Amino acid sequence: MPETILIVDDEETVRRTFRDWLTGSGLNVEVQAVADAESALVFANSHSVDLAVLDWNLGTGSDGLRLLEDLVEFHPDLVAILVTGFAHQATPLEALRMGVRDYLDKNQDLNRESFIAAVRKQLERIAPAKRQRQFQRGLLQFRQSVEKILPLVQSTAALNDPLPLPDAVRNLFRFLIRSTGAVDGVLLARHVSPEGAERFMAFRPDGQPLTQLAVPFNRSLAATVLSMNEVCVMSAADLGTLGPVELQPVEKNRQHILAAPIPVAPGTHVVLELFDKPGGFTPDDRKLVAASAEFSSELLRQAMAERQNRRLLIDAVEAALHASEQATASLPSSQEPEADEPLPATVMDRLRAGLKESANPVVDSETSLQLAEEIRELAIRHGPAAVRHCIGLVKSVRGLLDETTGT
Amino acid sequence: MPETETVFDEIFRLLTPEKLLRDPRATGEGVSIALIDSGVERSVLENKFGDTIHPIEGAVFRADQPTPSPYTGHQSSPHGTTVADIVLTIAPRVKIYSADVFGPTGTCEVETVIKALQYASDVWKCKVVNLSLGVPESKLQQLPKRHQFLKAIEEGYYKDVLIFAAAHNEHPIMRSYPAAFSTPLISVDKGLFEDPTQFAYKLRDTVEFQAHGRGYLGPFAREPATSWATPHLAAIAARLLSLRPEMKPFEIKTLLYWMFEARKMDPKGK
Repeated sequence: MPETILIVDDEETVRRTFRDWLTGSGLNVEVQAVADAESALVFANSHSVDLAVLDWNLGTGSDGLRLLEDLVEFHPDLVAILVTGFAHQATPLEALRMGVRDYLDKNQDLNRESFIAAVRKQLERIAPAKRQRQFQRGLLQFRQSVEKILPLVQSTAALNDPLPLPDAVRNLFRFLIRSTGAVDGVLLARHVSPEGAERFMAFRPDGQPLTQLAVPFNRSLAATVLSMNEVCVMSAADLGTLGPVELQPVEKNRQHILAAPIPVAPGTHVVLELFDKPGGFTPDDRKLVAASAEFSSELLRQAMAERQNRRLLIDAVEAALHASEQATASLPSSQEPEADEPLPATVMDRLRAGLKESANPVVDSETSLQLAEEIRELAIRHGPAAVRHCIGLVKSVRGLLDETTGT
Repeated sequence: MPETETVFDEIFRLLTPEKLLRDPRATGEGVSIALIDSGVERSVLENKFGDTIHPIEGAVFRADQPTPSPYTGHQSSPHGTTVADIVLTIAPRVKIYSADVFGPTGTCEVETVIKALQYASDVWKCKVVNLSLGVPESKLQQLPKRHQFLKAIEEGYYKDVLIFAAAHNEHPIMRSYPAAFSTPLISVDKGLFEDPTQFAYKLRDTVEFQAHGRGYLGPFAREPATSWATPHLAAIAARLLSLRPEMKPFEIKTLLYWMFEARKMDPKGK
């Protein structure tokens, strides 16, 4: 992005000369030349200005130093070159404080070479600082965006955490109730996080969660069913010997209970319970539910895999946020990371760990990361069009392989 | 040529399974059983049996912990308490050690069971181990893991520990470990018997014995299950061991086999 130079001089010939020198210099700059302080301020109000070349004496009682003071209000990082006929009379300290970085004396050394050299010298300082400011502004915006979106993403995931109940399972649940003739049922789910926190919850056949479970997992009927690892049937007579078991409110006063364990993943278990088939559950009901339990188990595993992918996204966003904080804190004022620099190792490590935990290991984590990194670099170096072209190529290869293999 | 009676025939006529089991000393006294299961709710059994039973001790084993945690008298799931109740119903003077391996995963992890097995023989000095929870074959696909498990079972055998394991706990047609290692241990399937101290020898691919498959405590105790059959046979072995504590695993196994054959010959046990 070119730097913008604002020339302010009341003499038209001087403005034209400076403009010609700059446009013929080969410097990557945009030049705006105005005659007075008012025009300069109007321009600065609506445009960015990186370097101002100001005449010390602008006429009509106005001077360049005062104008600079006003311009800095619009652009605090603005630097200036002051053009004067009496440089020895300038007040260097005050001028330096206000952003004047050089003087050119109209009466002594001002010619094309000295002018371009002075401008070039300032631009060499301005350009990196400007890029760094832009980078930091971008980083700040990115962080603000992530900080805003992260709680949303996390809370969305929390709605499904720790166990998603996909539509397919709800439908299957309702199907089993109809097929067996049960009058009601409940799906109990227990999840233990890697940190050891246990959650025990229940869902109605319509998928709505039951607000409260009165009995903890370790004394529940569901825990027994999970331990037995097979479909169990209980009648009212069996309820007379509860022993180490307590019944949830939804299980009390039932005449018949058929319960099936549905193992989903280590630390996540589900038990399906059907209630009160008139006349009691039959061996055929037991077989049907056993077969359905295996199917439900697979459906829930898939739902868990989807949740894992969401977790991966959250991990990546959190890692990016963490990395941006570190980058902001560690960036010295004169240092700017290269645009095509590899992602920080911490980000890569967290992505790699997340990918390894993914329940859908079609491609190993290293290959996934390599592909993502290649696409990222392609986008940085050659833009979105190159990425679109790449997508087209992938589709072509897939089509070719599908055709070749007959899939 | 008619066979001549020997002194042993006379002895065997006097010795019947029922006489062995009804011996007043055959209560399980002096025998320690480790229940590798889901923990035991001590107060439930104390309420049921009162002072007639020995205090229940134990430990909690977890895959991520190198040493077991103290047993607090609680269950991780009611399953283990129902198993303990069966043992105490059949052999009321047995000393029970609860090895809780159920844990947060809700299933038996191989490494945890191995740890509990070693602890039961080395620290608790148990002569009988009951494993009503099975490790499904899917968790033992890796050969080294399976060998590690087999080695732990073998080590128990050579330390004179008799291990009873529920057969096919996971699924009727799925192999379940350690019951599949039927040589160094006794694998038990479920059956229904009028007398819960009855059992059958049913040699199949991975099953040797059938025992009574119904329990006495808890809503699912009446549901026939290998989980309930296994502690019946383990408790019967404990009763035999209290008559002769120095018996080796193969001797107990032989005795159980003989008891079944003898009952076949004389069902009334005269």
